[in-house]
Amino acid sequence: MSPAGCPHVNSFKVDNWKQNLRVIYQCFVWSGSAETRKRKAKSCICHMCGAHLNRLHSCLYCVFFACFAKKHIHEHAKSKRHNLAIDLLYGGIYCFMCQDYIYDKDMEQIAKEEQRKAWKIQGKTGSMRSFECALCASGIGEKYSTWEPTKRELELLRHNPKRRRITSNCTIGLRGLINLGNTCFMNCIVQALTHTPLLRDFFLSDRHKCEMQSNSCLVCEMSQLFQEFYSGHRSPHIPFRLLHLVWTHARHLAGYEQQDAHEFLIAALDVLHRHCKDDNGKKANNPNHCNCIIDQIFTGGLQSDVTCQVCHGVSTTIDPFWDISLDLPGSSTPFWPLSPGGDGSALNGESHTTGATTLTDCLRRFTRPEHLGSSAKIKCSGCHSYQESTKQLTMKKLPIVACFHLKRFEHSAKLRRKITTYVSFPLELDMTPFMASSKESRMNGQYQQTVDPFNNDNKYSLFAVVNHQGTLESGHYTTFIRQHKDQWFKCDDAIITKASIKDVLDSEGYLLFYHKQFLEYE
Amino acid sequence: MKMEDMPLSGPDNTKLEALVHDIYSELVEDACLGLCFEVHRAVKQGYFFLDETDQESMKEFEIVDQPGVDIFGQVYNQWKNKECECPNCKRLIAASRFAPHLEKCLGMGRNSSRIANRRLASNNNMSKSESDQEDNDDLNDNDWSYGAEKKARKRKSDKNQNSPRRSKSIKHKNGELGSSVSSEPYKYNYNTGISYETLGPDEVRSLLTTQCGVISEHTKKMCTRPSLPDADTVVESDSFDIPDGQTLMSRLQWEDSPDISPADSASSKASTNHSDSRRPKKKKRPSLGLNSGGGGSLTGGGGSSSSSSQSNISLSTKKKRPKLSAPSISSIYDDLN
Repeated sequence: MSPAGCPHVNSFKVDNWKQNLRVIYQCFVWSGSAETRKRKAKSCICHMCGAHLNRLHSCLYCVFFACFAKKHIHEHAKSKRHNLAIDLLYGGIYCFMCQDYIYDKDMEQIAKEEQRKAWKIQGKTGSMRSFECALCASGIGEKYSTWEPTKRELELLRHNPKRRRITSNCTIGLRGLINLGNTCFMNCIVQALTHTPLLRDFFLSDRHKCEMQSNSCLVCEMSQLFQEFYSGHRSPHIPFRLLHLVWTHARHLAGYEQQDAHEFLIAALDVLHRHCKDDNGKKANNPNHCNCIIDQIFTGGLQSDVTCQVCHGVSTTIDPFWDISLDLPGSSTPFWPLSPGGDGSALNGESHTTGATTLTDCLRRFTRPEHLGSSAKIKCSGCHSYQESTKQLTMKKLPIVACFHLKRFEHSAKLRRKITTYVSFPLELDMTPFMASSKESRMNGQYQQTVDPFNNDNKYSLFAVVNHQGTLESGHYTTFIRQHKDQWFKCDDAIITKASIKDVLDSEGYLLFYHKQFLEYE
Repeated sequence: MKMEDMPLSGPDNTKLEALVHDIYSELVEDACLGLCFEVHRAVKQGYFFLDETDQESMKEFEIVDQPGVDIFGQVYNQWKNKECECPNCKRLIAASRFAPHLEKCLGMGRNSSRIANRRLASNNNMSKSESDQEDNDDLNDNDWSYGAEKKARKRKSDKNQNSPRRSKSIKHKNGELGSSVSSEPYKYNYNTGISYETLGPDEVRSLLTTQCGVISEHTKKMCTRPSLPDADTVVESDSFDIPDGQTLMSRLQWEDSPDISPADSASSKASTNHSDSRRPKKKKRPSLGLNSGGGGSLTGGGGSSSSSSQSNISLSTKKKRPKLSAPSISSIYDDLN
């Protein structure tokens, strides 16, 4: 008997009590299918007052429903000496002798099993469109149940009262990184990755099961990194093993004294993606089918439509991407007007006069239809010849974490310089206008997009900004990261300091990391 | 009668509203009841106390927001003496010098192959002074010349004329080197005794289009580093393994070509400024983004601009550019712009 149980259940636990209890749970508490639900709704009324609600309970000894609020079930218990009743909403067992709900181990076991069964049925029949049912149906998991300590664990916890709890004013999760020798390009990306909520959750819940034989799994090292960040240590971490692993696995990066943070990000994601394949046994090099955590979080789909100017046939391809590289005004290629043909003078006009370029401007430019010119004719399958065409990029599938790369380093034939044009970026971003679906509705004549306030699919929040200070030849990377809802911190190698939202939004911006606000199950 | 069919106004409205209100309050009550049960169970099973925290711990991990200290309340720049063990050679290396050490340790640096070749060549004749010198060379590499004592110097004017191992002015913290190193000529695998007068114009042209060709005043040797890109060569052109314009232009379907990885960022490919090919099977690629990120770091490392300017040269090392194929690709891209 568990400490939360009571002796009065013993009189119930006779004969075929387990099966009886199961039946009660199946029929009257956890209704899996539509039929059981109907039956419950019809038959479960208070036998005394006829109410449907008011915390209906069922007697455990006989078939009798009565409400708790009006004490009708108490009357029944007294008169019949049936001391146990079950709450029909949550399945709790009430003992009238103890005058309290009790928790008996055996009975709870049965309750849990029946509940699980009901969830599964709900998922299969698809009678409800809740996310939890979708979960069951797709076999991803069961209803979430919180962790409960065992007796031994409770004892230990009681004897050791010191707790580390992550509150909003807590340093846990933040840690500096030692610069190993011009490695701030790596440090800034590590800070951004360790503060990516989904990635953090994946690693802290120990979801990586390594199947690599050697010690050279980068995902394991990443996992270790999270442990270090959440260890509560104050001294900065020395990421020398990480550097070694990245150089071992991404040879094209190794050996450069200083590198581009963006390149490092792509290389790191690539190695993580390759090493992650062991987690689900699928091929790493088929981006369409890989289900590793990197792909789930970072991979989006970029749709490229090439329209033949003669027959107007459209050839569409979708390429996976991990980042969006955006051109900036101030480079040698013109930023305005958006395209030779123009995208509607209204757009051009308003952008010109408002002053600072925004991230949205850059995205608009990125997704503009681009006339490819007579010297770059594409073979059109409709016309069977080379024709002039227009190309347009839109987002087919948005990743959960969108990384925008502002192309500040011009390496054209004529110039090599850093473009320091200020680009203002928002805290919250709506990607709807840049989606392929939006483009389709634009082409169908709906030029003005009505913003659907209930469609939260494409809303993003900023959570990390990587900045570069200096010139092309000599510079330094720092990162702003968002730790709790509105707290920002500046990560400058080993030094972590608090930053204001204004500091973040006023900064130049080189890599911008946005996280989807609302996550849905596929 | 369906909810949608019910009129929104009129005498039925109050009935509808009352119904709605009833359902709503019932749902809220049920939710509250659920929470009550959770707490009740936690208290009865004895694990409710787990939610509590102790004051001491809360204070310990509180964020500090004061000038001059980080969020842990620590003063900046006190981490100079951190060390770590190299996974390759197992030696204890100062953390701020780990990257240059690892580069050489793994044989990946520009100079590592040079050092290795030299070691192989003079393996039999290895004398103590030579080996000392080689170690000194390793430590002496100007690219990694930063440290607390070293001040940043502008050496841009030097970079084109000198090979990186030039030690005209060594101001290193490795004091044991002294000035003895600079007086000895470095033994490079370079052509010796080249004088341009002895070469014909064609030879000079072919030599200078592939190599730097600057003759050092100091050692009279010619620098054989691959030359910087010409003005009319697009930098990214040789970053493609397949210098085929059609391949670039043809669109690969996502389903049909499973070996495209997101590392070949389509967004970058599509850009008009420069195309970043990010095929991971590539061995070496010029760093098209900022390649001096990390130079001149403000803490710990204290990189100098000289070291970062050196890296610009490193852009073009290791791989001889296939110059002939370059122009055809660049023109396709020029037309795209």
